[in-house]
Amino acid sequence: MIDDASCPTGAPGTPASTAATIVDQVRIQHDERTEWTPDGVSFDVGRGEVVLLLGPSGSGKSTLALAINGLVPQAVPARLEGSVVTAGLDTSTSTVAALSAHVSMVFQDPDAQIVTGSVLDEVCFGPENLLLAPGEVLERAERALRQVGLWGRRAENPDRLSGGGRQRLAIACALAMGSELLVLDEPTANLDPAGIEEVYSALRDLVGSGTHAVLLVEHNLDAAIDLVDRVVVIDGHGRLAFDGPTREILLGHLEELIAMGVWLPVATLAALRLRDAGIALPIIPLTPAELATALDPLELPERPAVHPPDAMARTVAVTVDRLSVARGRGKQRSTILHEVSLEIGRGDFLAVVGTNGAGKTTLVQAIAGVVPPPRGRVDIGGVDPGRSDVRTLAATIGFVFQNPEHQFITHTVHDELAHGLRIRGADDAETERRVSHMLDRFGLGSMREVHPFLLSGGQKRRLSVGTALIAGAPVIVLDEPTFGQDRERANELLDLLSALNAQGTTVIVVTHDMQLVAEHASHVAVMAAGRLLAHDTAATILADDALIERAGLRQPPLARAMRALERHPEWRTIARLADLPSVAALDDPPARSTDTDSR
Amino acid sequence: MSAARIDPYAASAEHPGIRFLYRLNPLAKLGAPLPAMVLLIFTRDLAIPLSFIVLALLIVLVGAQLTRPIALLLLLGLPTVVAVMSFSFGLWSDASRVDHSVLLFQIGDYRFFLGALLLGFATALRLASLLVLALIGGLTSTGPELVRAMIQQLHVPYRIGYTALAAYRFVPRFGHELDVIRSAHRVRGMAQGRGPVASVRRSLGYVVPLLAGAIRHAERVALAMDSRAFGAHPQRTERTIIPFRTRDWVFMILFWLVSASIVWWGLTAGPGPVGGAAIG
Repeated sequence: MIDDASCPTGAPGTPASTAATIVDQVRIQHDERTEWTPDGVSFDVGRGEVVLLLGPSGSGKSTLALAINGLVPQAVPARLEGSVVTAGLDTSTSTVAALSAHVSMVFQDPDAQIVTGSVLDEVCFGPENLLLAPGEVLERAERALRQVGLWGRRAENPDRLSGGGRQRLAIACALAMGSELLVLDEPTANLDPAGIEEVYSALRDLVGSGTHAVLLVEHNLDAAIDLVDRVVVIDGHGRLAFDGPTREILLGHLEELIAMGVWLPVATLAALRLRDAGIALPIIPLTPAELATALDPLELPERPAVHPPDAMARTVAVTVDRLSVARGRGKQRSTILHEVSLEIGRGDFLAVVGTNGAGKTTLVQAIAGVVPPPRGRVDIGGVDPGRSDVRTLAATIGFVFQNPEHQFITHTVHDELAHGLRIRGADDAETERRVSHMLDRFGLGSMREVHPFLLSGGQKRRLSVGTALIAGAPVIVLDEPTFGQDRERANELLDLLSALNAQGTTVIVVTHDMQLVAEHASHVAVMAAGRLLAHDTAATILADDALIERAGLRQPPLARAMRALERHPEWRTIARLADLPSVAALDDPPARSTDTDSR
Repeated sequence: MSAARIDPYAASAEHPGIRFLYRLNPLAKLGAPLPAMVLLIFTRDLAIPLSFIVLALLIVLVGAQLTRPIALLLLLGLPTVVAVMSFSFGLWSDASRVDHSVLLFQIGDYRFFLGALLLGFATALRLASLLVLALIGGLTSTGPELVRAMIQQLHVPYRIGYTALAAYRFVPRFGHELDVIRSAHRVRGMAQGRGPVASVRRSLGYVVPLLAGAIRHAERVALAMDSRAFGAHPQRTERTIIPFRTRDWVFMILFWLVSASIVWWGLTAGPGPVGGAAIG
């Protein structure tokens, strides 16, 4: 069965006439690149079928998605070999416009898909381009907007919608094209948890109605997996690895998928860890609910012992005392932060969480002096960012912007790192020594003389972390470091941060990725509407469902599964994989406490 | 299904009857003052621009629903700006070419004549009249309305019109991005120092990241528009018809006639150009 499903020539015996799109031996080479990704991939998407395209970053998933409606190679300069036939039309000979009536796209960035000034005009834009009669345009627009629950807001400016709302609008725009196939490329990578939920609930309704075939590129498997009929896996070289029903492929090839760098659902990873620790589940689960159902009837061991935190050793790295921040002038002036007070311990890994607009970024920008705070409100080991010059600040606290490109100011990687030392007047030998050390540490040694803008996304991110740290700052702040990134790059960065943290650097991260919070943060500060709702250990915060709910956030997937356990109350507070029993944990308990009653 | 009921751009009907400007075609509101604006560039006297300011203000006050800040700006801000500009243009004007009969004040060797002030006043009024005339259309039409009218009546290719509209959405985004880049560069200690040289160096540093972001964003928007069949046909459906009606012709022709009368009166019966023999 598994062998059959993983046969790389695609689902057997599917007549061509019923397929929404047929991808046949497709290789794509972007102009000015040497490698072909994807490289010889064949699969098809049947009518009404939901197919998930998986693969490590760089495998060419997004490129392939763009080839389905002919944007590759017609709008994006690239060479395409093999063929893509969508709704019977060859995408290399039919125009993107002609194909748009049969396949519609939803992209990652909701802002880059909006053209007009009102929700209704936006949905009408596509059908108007198709030269449909006005009555038909409005009929389609109404149907599409009702389907995603935005009909009531049709007269509003799209800018007034939340991120999730704008992405639902993009789905409505795709539906209004009247196509039978929907291609979604990382539709939730830019959204907060509530937005992700909104988009998937809209997609679930759509899939339930059975009217559309869907091709989905998505790293967030925890949100997507229960929608998907079939997965197609492309490996790191762009070749087709597996193609078949979701459960068979994901569970039948677990080890290969992990080795390939494909992200798996957290519930599945948890089951693997438990299996290694000698707790065999009857089925390998894909969703939190399945994990809970499988785990509950088993006899489980005691949770591994956790040590209470070392309260004595805790010294303060950053003190924030009744910090208020207002922006704008005159009538526009509004208070963004209201009297926030908190103490961040030395060596903490603090996650600042909250929905979009909760004041997270404003808080950390004030702490790091990016936007100077009022005097006397912030103290970082004796330094007040409200009155320090840039040189002092650079040696005290490093700040990594959401988009690393924003902070690059020189023309080579080497100078970028050296800059922070030069403005402090370090001598050349010392500068050289520390820059070389930093280049090696962040794997940028071969990139010394390269322009920072020419680095890959992951390299840019590492360089920006290096520049924040080079002047010796003991505290580093990162604003949404995983926003819009794929899982692999996000993990690479977080491993780097965890390593820095283990060596004593205090790390402050703004994020709304709750599983990231659970896995990496020692402490969590919860923001809502400009106020600090709570600041405590990660375990304490994650155990407080009411608080998470009040902040407009969602429990991470593993916590959701564990909450559902009925027979094992002491397991219910587990939120991160590292807290599950494992082979190693039996003789090597985790160094950091995550127990709820540890404070 | 009633198209008019749910179309947000059909909302002009909400404005009370007297606010007639909202019911005119944006091109009529642009075309009516255009000849006057061209003529104003070449006038040298006070009466013609002043008359046009009064005319345009009357039209805007009656025909448009002004918010309080805009009304204040027009009625108080505009005279203030004109006064300040008159004085400063007067200082700049070539003292040898103005009338020397009335000396207003003297500082050292510098003498400020009434003639110089009047010359400055004329320039300030000219600029103010151009502004107020442009506001007739500017305050009462939206970007989409203007684009639609240009496509429907002037047959501007819709590919250009709608691309311009999409680009218009970029502006606030880039403003925000520029703010972020600025604080990023500042906190990294880029181009310390004051003065124009440091400031120019700093600004040059913003260009690369801003452009990199802009190009990437533009490419994404273009892909999204292509995916939605933009440019598929020589025409696209115009759901909102912006008609050019009799009233638009009436407004334009009346405005032209009044403009011609003002100019004719100004040239024949009015006080004549500033700086000439007519003054003094």
